[in-house]
Amino acid sequence: MSQAPSSATAALPVLHPGIHRGLQRPLSPQELSDFGAEIEALRARTVADLGERDARYIRRIFAAVRWTEIAGRILLVAGFFMPGAWSWVTWLVGAFTLGLSKILDNMELGHNVIHGQFDWMGDPRFSGKTFEWDIVGTADNWRKTHNFKHHTYTNVHGMDDDIGYDVLRLFPEQKWHPAALFQPLYAVIFALLFQWGVAIQNLRVGRVFIGRITWARLLKEAAPTLRKSRRQLVKDYLVFPLLAGPAWASVFAGNLVANGLRNLWTYTVIFCGHFTTDVQTFPKAVLKDESRPQWYLRQILGSSNLSGGKALHVLTGNLSHQIEHHLFPDVPANRYAEMAVEVRDICRRYGIHYNTGSMAGQFAQVVWRILRHSFPSSPSEAMPEGVPAR
Amino acid sequence: MSLTATAPAAPSLARRLLDPMVDPATFDFWAQKLNPVWSWSRTLARVVERRTEAQDAVTLVLQPNGHWAGFRPGQHLNVSAEVAGRRVTRSYSLTDIPRRDGRIAITVKRVDGGRLSTHLCERTRVGDVLELGEAFGDMTLPQAPRHAQGRWLFLAAGSGITPLMALTRQLCDQGMPVDLILIYWAKTRAEFCFAAELRALARHHPRLQVHFVVTHESAQGADEHEGFIDHGLLTRLCGAPDAATTATATVAWADHQVLACGPGGFVDAARALTATTARSFMAEGFTPSAPANLPMADDTAAVTVSLTRSGRTLTVPSGTSLLEALEAQGLNPPSGCRMGVCHTCVCQRHSGTTLDTLTGERSAEPDMAVRLCVSRACSDLSLDL
Repeated sequence: MSQAPSSATAALPVLHPGIHRGLQRPLSPQELSDFGAEIEALRARTVADLGERDARYIRRIFAAVRWTEIAGRILLVAGFFMPGAWSWVTWLVGAFTLGLSKILDNMELGHNVIHGQFDWMGDPRFSGKTFEWDIVGTADNWRKTHNFKHHTYTNVHGMDDDIGYDVLRLFPEQKWHPAALFQPLYAVIFALLFQWGVAIQNLRVGRVFIGRITWARLLKEAAPTLRKSRRQLVKDYLVFPLLAGPAWASVFAGNLVANGLRNLWTYTVIFCGHFTTDVQTFPKAVLKDESRPQWYLRQILGSSNLSGGKALHVLTGNLSHQIEHHLFPDVPANRYAEMAVEVRDICRRYGIHYNTGSMAGQFAQVVWRILRHSFPSSPSEAMPEGVPAR
Repeated sequence: MSLTATAPAAPSLARRLLDPMVDPATFDFWAQKLNPVWSWSRTLARVVERRTEAQDAVTLVLQPNGHWAGFRPGQHLNVSAEVAGRRVTRSYSLTDIPRRDGRIAITVKRVDGGRLSTHLCERTRVGDVLELGEAFGDMTLPQAPRHAQGRWLFLAAGSGITPLMALTRQLCDQGMPVDLILIYWAKTRAEFCFAAELRALARHHPRLQVHFVVTHESAQGADEHEGFIDHGLLTRLCGAPDAATTATATVAWADHQVLACGPGGFVDAARALTATTARSFMAEGFTPSAPANLPMADDTAAVTVSLTRSGRTLTVPSGTSLLEALEAQGLNPPSGCRMGVCHTCVCQRHSGTTLDTLTGERSAEPDMAVRLCVSRACSDLSLDL
């Protein structure tokens, strides 16, 4: 394994285009340190500026979640009573509106608040530790798998469980087995049931099949998730249909479609964030003595953005700025668009590839990845000999 | 400050049944479309009246919602408002007595650099909504039917007049069953709150004497004096001791029960002068926490950390992160990345000053979330652990 002379670069065997395809030139320890300082200065400037407009923004998002929710639910009921073709149109608009409510609640509101982005407000409605969201998984489990594991160990094989979610083989470093041939099918099922996949991620169900824990123990650990799921199912498939009286079937189907739309959308956006062509993954060795600038570098090289307008940013929960989100997970997401201008400039000056593209283009790359690695593949020139992938 | 709080009543059966099904934030959102102070669980109050009480002092009369559990004159409460996007909470004394219409009043003196006092004095208008905590405090008098008795001496300086005004109003409402001397200090006469009302009450109740004392200008008028609190001034204003009391009485306030309220330094002086010689002494010191006065992080010092949920108190060094310091004492608070990113270690700091090692910023704002892995103690702390 080739070694760089200074210990500041010891964690990454060498800051070399061979390992870090996203770097245009090797970065010296001084450059790396300056890069880290610029990132931190950008964060400090933004955090010092937080105030009324950010508070107003998240309150308006909360209001948007509430209004789309009530509008969607009312339209689903109204659809039943409308004449002829209007019935279907109203129902469809209702299902989409309710889906929009769930998307906003999970992404621009929930995901961001749970990161602690708005803790500085001191408002109990937007406290990262206590916020609960409209999805079958518990916020507590999300804090563990996402806030902690995914963001700390981003794209490190064996540490970041979001790489393929234990369902899909997306990188050559992951071991191939014949079952992977069917993963285009798993991918579609996983997309439709995405909220369930996320909900059970922290349970690591595989442990019971390899005898690491007992079923009884797994059930005990799953108790909060089961409770939350039951609450969600009762709410969407029992309480609201019952409240609708004769329109119960319209409401039941509409809620199902709304949940499905949210699943498909969040799946698409999240997959675009880390599984495009140029995104890099890393071996565990990268974590040893990783400095803060090196952590920032790994976050950039492991993430990809979506280009678009304000509507896209809100609908994706600002995960269209996946790079900025990974550099600054606890900075209010409404700031990412303005921070992106400087992040792009910093990347340009330090020769770091800034991965962005249209949603269609980026998702096409994700689909290619799913298809390509359902067949055997091996890491090419990426790793020098002797560096283990896992 | 004391721990005696006026607690809200136990929740009704309907409320207990509905609680697991209702999301408080969603309920509040829709309820407040109808009435801005309706809330599932938060105590909110609407400003119904705003009066300029003195230079730099404003009285706000508030109408609380149904969650308000009442108070006793002399108590104080936490008031919260959003200032520049952030919730700021400070403690204020209630200045009026309980009224039939349920309205309560606070009188806020604008402190230089004070975030909430400046906001309340300059920007709060009738119709604004504030959040309230429970009423706290032991500096109260017996309620009806038992009344206070004997001779009392109230010593007030600056904003310290606020709880003593409530107590004075209470005694007046009860027909002044005691001999009361109220001595009220301020830098200049423009700063006296309730001056006209106090003079009117003194005229109406012969057993009430009110003395105004200015410290930074010369006195005018019969009831005004000048000078800081000292033995001579107190003796002059309290009059000669009652010959009937005791032969060993050496001070004018020997048989008085003394209540003192004001900045910490004033209360200390009042205590030094009267605590051992008066019949009884009770005080509340108001010291605003100004950012410029925040303690630094001292690597060599040890601080006391109280953990309110487990009830434990520990002494930890302030040279390491709070997470490491607590772990060294055998605790295991939740943690994750240990680098300030994942927020797993976030917990509420009820009080005290901490330093954020990533930003270099110190903060003393009560009830703020802090990341234990990147925070160090600058003073004694109280944490929600």
